[in-house]
Amino acid sequence: MKEIEEFLTGRMWLRNFTPFPKEQLDDAILTGKVRVSPGIIDGKQCARCLEKSSQKIVPFFCAACQSVCHYCRHCIKMGRISSCTELITWAFPSTITPQSHSFFWNGSLTPMQERASQEVQQSLSQDKDHLVYAVCGAGKTELLFPAIYGALKKGLRVCIAAPRTDVVLELSPRLRAVFPSTTIHSLYGNSPEQSGFAPLVIATTHQLYRFKDAFDVMIVDEVDAFPYSYDPALRRAVSKAKKEMAPIIYVSATPSNQLLKQVPNSSQLFRRFHGFPLPVPQFRSLWGYEKDFSKGKIPAKLIDWVDDKINKEQPFLVFFPTIELIEKAIGLFKQRHPAIEAVHSKDADRKEKVMKLRQGQIPGVLTSTILERGITIPNVQVAVVGADQPIFDAAALIQISGRSGRAVDYPSGEVVFFHNGIVWQMDKAIKLIRSYNKGARG
Amino acid sequence: MNCYLCDQGMSTQVSWRSIFFNELQEVVCLRCRAGFEPAVPGCPICSAPGEGKCADCCEWETTEYAGLIDAGKSLYRYNTAMKEYLHQYKFLKDIVLSQVFAADLREALYKQQTMIVPIPMNGNKLKERTFPQVDRLLDSAALPYTHLLEKKEIGLGGKSKSDRMALQDIFWWNGHPVPEKVLLFDDLYTTGSTMRLAAQVLKDQGVKEIKILSLIRA
Ligand SMILES: [Zn+2]
Ligand SMILES: [Zn+2]
Ligand SMILES: [Zn+2]
Ligand SMILES: [Zn+2]
Repeated sequence: MKEIEEFLTGRMWLRNFTPFPKEQLDDAILTGKVRVSPGIIDGKQCARCLEKSSQKIVPFFCAACQSVCHYCRHCIKMGRISSCTELITWAFPSTITPQSHSFFWNGSLTPMQERASQEVQQSLSQDKDHLVYAVCGAGKTELLFPAIYGALKKGLRVCIAAPRTDVVLELSPRLRAVFPSTTIHSLYGNSPEQSGFAPLVIATTHQLYRFKDAFDVMIVDEVDAFPYSYDPALRRAVSKAKKEMAPIIYVSATPSNQLLKQVPNSSQLFRRFHGFPLPVPQFRSLWGYEKDFSKGKIPAKLIDWVDDKINKEQPFLVFFPTIELIEKAIGLFKQRHPAIEAVHSKDADRKEKVMKLRQGQIPGVLTSTILERGITIPNVQVAVVGADQPIFDAAALIQISGRSGRAVDYPSGEVVFFHNGIVWQMDKAIKLIRSYNKGARG
Repeated sequence: MNCYLCDQGMSTQVSWRSIFFNELQEVVCLRCRAGFEPAVPGCPICSAPGEGKCADCCEWETTEYAGLIDAGKSLYRYNTAMKEYLHQYKFLKDIVLSQVFAADLREALYKQQTMIVPIPMNGNKLKERTFPQVDRLLDSAALPYTHLLEKKEIGLGGKSKSDRMALQDIFWWNGHPVPEKVLLFDDLYTTGSTMRLAAQVLKDQGVKEIKILSLIRA
């Protein structure tokens, strides 16, 4: 029973997909320790992801319950939920004995990080939301360590939610090193099964669908980053996963006006942790680049840029607006430099390719916006092809610029926006970066 | 609307599909559509690539199942896109995906004069899957069909000889009168044994001519 309690506390799980023997679970349900609820509420809303659009909640004649059932297409990848699917959750107040935690960190905070860190802790002590408005590379994770430790010591359950698996994978080993005696679960699509009760959970925002009233402190990283900013379902998932009164710490480099208004307590942090400003992107025209690629030709200015990086043995990332364009481009680049790789969101070997780039085994990677955050490659040089395309809004462009120059040894990197005409999102990105850098000096 | 497979927004696409079968709505984007690989004419029974009857089908002709199937074809090859499709349709049970190949099936079968007979599922499997995936493909293409067969409660996959013998009884006739000609339909053609076991039962009941159609040749 202890395992069931540890597993199901704060979770909403498919009854048919638990790792427990059926009899044990049935017994827990009979005795009321585990509560069962329907997967779809009134044929209208998914109880797990809270989706309710009629395009995603679809009726069908169900052979299992012999009647018209509805199923949710929105969260189907996590195991299909339908009206006759049962969701289970631990119904009793938790009796789990609090863990003891240790805090193992010999880094230090800059005075600016220190102040922000104090401000976060103060908001938490008053159960108030807080916004950490920090430019990429400002050491925002480190400044949260004391607040996380403080919460864990009080026996609170903490969640760090990030929009993408890459970020979860990067954060997890760092947090495991800092909190070596804490059970930490890292949850993302197809993550391995992890046992026990985790007072600290690092999860993709999608994985929050599987929690309800679970967390006392919720940290939402890259809050305005795609896909979070576009998906109200994920926003709802955050508020469902945390306990009702639990405060949220938002971390963002590009908070929306709405968020700035909604969260009055905030800390601004514009100095990068190594004290150098963000590289200011250069604009370079690349007229008709799409036509060139369609004709089987890499635009000359782009060849020059890539050749230059290869000659200088600097690792590079070239961002493209669409997967189609990557597919056209990679063949052409490989003819010149066979070792160049391409990655995109559906690429299963993404992790390995990025690792190879980091280790200097390949010169560079062509990528979709999937790599725009959570990736640290020392001395990496960055180009954006088609920076004028709508997918590259100012927030994305700033994130991309932040890929460059992240390591102390190589604080400055080159960032080039290749474009077919300057659009205001590009101007906005530069203006914001300049203002961050000014803040860093002042 | 958004593409059923990649969930990206789709502009209304006018293609031969929407002109030819304007009652069937396109539900996947051009990019996802391009991922599927149509089977080009090959084996006259299963559309395996190559000239003439494929090795598998020739092998069947040396067994007691020789000559059961008069002709047949498959519409698509089993590639990565198709594997993902089948995973989402059958394993994740995303029923709306039965519409993805509606136009193809309609084009292949709408002129068909013979009775279309789907390969059935057994009751346990159906309860577990919650929908009959083969029937739904035909439903989405608005094609009429008749069940003539029922399937035993055990699945394929037995290894021992006696298990394989027992397979012979995996399908039985449901008692519905049989016509002279029948078209057997299944979603996936792998070894060809399902089709032949089903065809055997129908021939035993007096069906003279059996053609087969599979959506996918694995
Ligand atoms: Zn859902
Ligand atoms: Zn049902
Ligand atoms: Zn698509
Ligand atoms: Zn064949």
